[in-house]
Amino acid sequence: MKLDRPDRPERLDALAAQYALGTLSPRARRRLARIARREPAVVAALRSWELRLAGLADAIPPVTPPARVWNAICTKLGIGDGQGADSAETGPAPWWSSLGLWRGLAFAGVAAALLLGLRLMAPPVEEPGQTIVAVLAGSDAKPALVATVERGGRILAVKAIGPIAVPPGRALELWALPAGKDPRSLGLVAATGVVRITLPAPADDALLGVPALAISLEPPGGSPTGKPTGPVLYSGGIERI
Amino acid sequence: MDEAAAARRSENLAALLARTALADERAFAELYRQTSSHLYAVALRMLRDKAAAEDALQEAFVSVWHHAGSYVAAKGRPQTWLTSVVRNRCLDLLRRRVPDTMTLTRDDDEGEFDLPATGPTPVELLLSGADAAMVRTCVDALPGGQRQAIALAFFQGLSHSELAAQLREPLGTVKSWIRRGLERLKSCLDRAGMAGP
Repeated sequence: MKLDRPDRPERLDALAAQYALGTLSPRARRRLARIARREPAVVAALRSWELRLAGLADAIPPVTPPARVWNAICTKLGIGDGQGADSAETGPAPWWSSLGLWRGLAFAGVAAALLLGLRLMAPPVEEPGQTIVAVLAGSDAKPALVATVERGGRILAVKAIGPIAVPPGRALELWALPAGKDPRSLGLVAATGVVRITLPAPADDALLGVPALAISLEPPGGSPTGKPTGPVLYSGGIERI
Repeated sequence: MDEAAAARRSENLAALLARTALADERAFAELYRQTSSHLYAVALRMLRDKAAAEDALQEAFVSVWHHAGSYVAAKGRPQTWLTSVVRNRCLDLLRRRVPDTMTLTRDDDEGEFDLPATGPTPVELLLSGADAAMVRTCVDALPGGQRQAIALAFFQGLSHSELAAQLREPLGTVKSWIRRGLERLKSCLDRAGMAGP
């Protein structure tokens, strides 16, 4: 079988079809898989055949697998609590993946009022949406800090506006929460007054795809792991006003 | 599932895969929750053995965790990609079995085996697939032998020689049914605008 001769596209296509269908002999199957690793054309042929055929499987009536399969996957990968995907859905999750904190209706009302206040207090601007603002509130929905930055600017000002209790020997770390990704540290903030954080890029870029900010309690100097380690104390959605 | 719902589901699965590629355990758990019963059914049907199907599903999801990023580069529905991962895993397992253990008879686990004996046949399944209208037209156009051979190969993972035994036809006949059936299916589906590269 001259699998690797590029002058035989029909032959390649027929082999790819049989690979996807599963009727190739074990030897030819292994051979084609090996060639696919270095030949994009072979990968493309396989993929389009898999696409043609795999849709046929949609009609098979589903069968729920036993919970031990998920547990075995978790054990093998060293992830999760091994208690099953269903409990993973309702069980404790990293706080940054459940933004219910800042989506709560009670808080939304407070934040909207505060944002409106900020908007009214701000000097008139030529174009709307020049400032990025996040109002960070705790679990009691009371605003505790406000973060603001001009869209083209790099200085993010974080001002404490409510009483904030920080246990001795701990620090507050501010995180950007990109959609679907791990939190990104923006820096440490203070429990009183204003802290100015320099962003790595102009705010529009630095906060692109970031719907929310949050503050967690960390060891002095910030999280040692690059990811939040302590509880989230405050969080809030980003608005462009 | 209507087209809009199917598109939403694909979008959702693609997002879960993208997050899985970034090692998001919660997204991975959700992906498993949404797709495992379909993929397990595919594996059960091909391997006809609960323990083997569980192993295949487990290995497939371990592979998905490590290679979810490669989906991003792929074209096509996430469900298709996941099905391919599971089918390929099953085919590898089937082809690795020594011939005398590859038997079509059922073993002692038959009592708790989920595959319904009275369930749809492979050909019926082929005719009721998601892209039903197009696939039905194309499959209907295949001569009976080609249709049956492709359905058995697809849903039960039978090799050429196993097909020949099951259909009681010479090996050469079965091979040519498969080859010509696939060629016809391709040109028909391509004409219908489905699944181009």
